[in-house]
This record gives sequence, C-alpha cells and structure tokens, in this order.
Amino acid sequence: MAEGQYGDAHPVAVAANRHSSQTVQPIGIRLDVKNALRWLLWLWICGVIWAALLVAPVSAGFAGLDGYSPQSSRIVYFHVPMAVASFFGFLAGAWWSAVYLWKRRPEADLASVAAIEVSLLFCVLATVTGAVWSRVQWGAYWNWDPRQTSIALAMVFYAAYLTLRGAIEDPETRARISSSYAVLGFIVAPFLYFIMPRMASFSLHPKPGGAEMEASIGLVVVAGIIGFTALFFWMQNLRCRALAIEERLEQEMLE
Amino acid sequence: MNDGGLIWLAAVNLIIWTGLFFYLLSLERKIRQQEKDP
Repeated sequence: MAEGQYGDAHPVAVAANRHSSQTVQPIGIRLDVKNALRWLLWLWICGVIWAALLVAPVSAGFAGLDGYSPQSSRIVYFHVPMAVASFFGFLAGAWWSAVYLWKRRPEADLASVAAIEVSLLFCVLATVTGAVWSRVQWGAYWNWDPRQTSIALAMVFYAAYLTLRGAIEDPETRARISSSYAVLGFIVAPFLYFIMPRMASFSLHPKPGGAEMEASIGLVVVAGIIGFTALFFWMQNLRCRALAIEERLEQEMLE
Repeated sequence: MNDGGLIWLAAVNLIIWTGLFFYLLSLERKIRQQEKDP
C-alpha cells in the first residue's frame, strides 16, 4: 500500500499508526531455563526417592543384625550421595580459594566459604545417616571405623576453617588467610575420603567393589549422587549470593 | 518393614524434599529481589 493512500483519519491508517507505536511482544510462554532446571532437579530427586524406596532391590550384603529389617540398607541411597556431594563441595571450596589467591577476586572467597558451609552440612547429614545405619548393621552408632574417623576429621578440619574465618575481622586478611587454609582441601579432602580409609587393614565398611550389589543399586546411587550434587551447587549459589548481600549491607551501614 | 511401611516412608520423604525445594525457591525469589532493589 502506498504511503498516504488513505488520510490520517482513515480507520486503516489509525490502526496502522496504533500498531507501529506499540512494542511488539512475542506470543508464547517465556521459558526461564534456570527455573526449568530447578523443577527438573525436584523431579529428579523425587525419582531417586521413589526408586530408592520402592523400586531398587535390597542388597543381600546388607542384611542387618538379627531383629532388624534388611530394608534399612536403603539408607545407602541417601548416605553415599550426601557424602560424595560433600566431597565435591570441599573440592569446589578449595578451587574457589585458589581462584581468590590467584586473582584476588572477593566473590571467589565468598563462593569458597559458601561451598564449605554447605559441604559441611552435607557431611553432617552423611554422618548422621551413616550412624543410624551403623546402629542397625553393626550394633552401635559409632564404631571408630576408619571411614567414620576420617569423616569426623574432615568435619573438624572444615569447622576449624569456619572458626578461623570468624576470628579475623579485617575482610582482606580474613579472605587471604582462610583461602590459604581452604586450598589445602585439594590434598586433605581426597586423603580423608579416599586414601586414609584404604590405609587401614580392617574396616566395617565394604571395600570399593567388594559389596555384592546388583547393577540397579549402583544406578540409583549414581542418580542420587547427580541429584544431591546439583542440589549442593544450587544451595551453594544461594548462600554465596546471600553472603554478598550481607557484605553489601554491612558496607552501607559503615558508610 | 513391609511394602506399606516403605510407601509411608517414601511419602514422608517426598513431603520433606518438596518442602525443602519450595523453601529454596522462596529463598531464591527473596535474594533476587534484594539484588534488584539494593
């Protein structure tokens, strides 16, 4: 249509002008990828719970003491993924500490402390679920088994990190010293989780690959590890952002 | 533990994890709000 073919008052021209003055919005559902991933994580964890408690078989290797149900061994689907997620978290904390020491970016220090705090929570949950299971399998909540001892040492090591942070007031000194401590996690975490338990001649825990398990048990454990690790990184991200807001508010109050 | 017990256990687990999930979602919204409006 030629421009000006109709006068400005003509309905076609009025409609065309109205249309051109509005911002064109795309029609359809706006897909928030991050939100979609969170819902996917929820579905994944629900799937793990369903598979762990109602689908996966009970391993004959975890019969439990007399009088206890062998079904208690299903706690493995929560205990092992939490322990593995805490290990990944401690490694991530060491990584972000190394980034801070290298580039001196304050957000890397916050990411490191958030990772270690959330990992410590997962570590405590792994220990508690392990202790409950230990009572059923071995008759006592705590047996000083090499793995129990090493995870207790890991908790002491990272609790000391948080204490160290709390003891230093100057933010830059705190970040520098605590990052230097946390970067040791690259050695300490693998040593306590994998090397030390293998150094002992006797352990109540089954040796890696030693427990007789059906393949489906391993599959659910791996699915649990993926789900809990993703949950860990979401919680770490939230904690890190909350710490950044806290720091900003403290700065504003000082100014 | 019989099948009924396991179903109860799964239901309680689902409620706990769903509660945690919604708590984290609400925390996410609050933090995003704080980041937008300093």
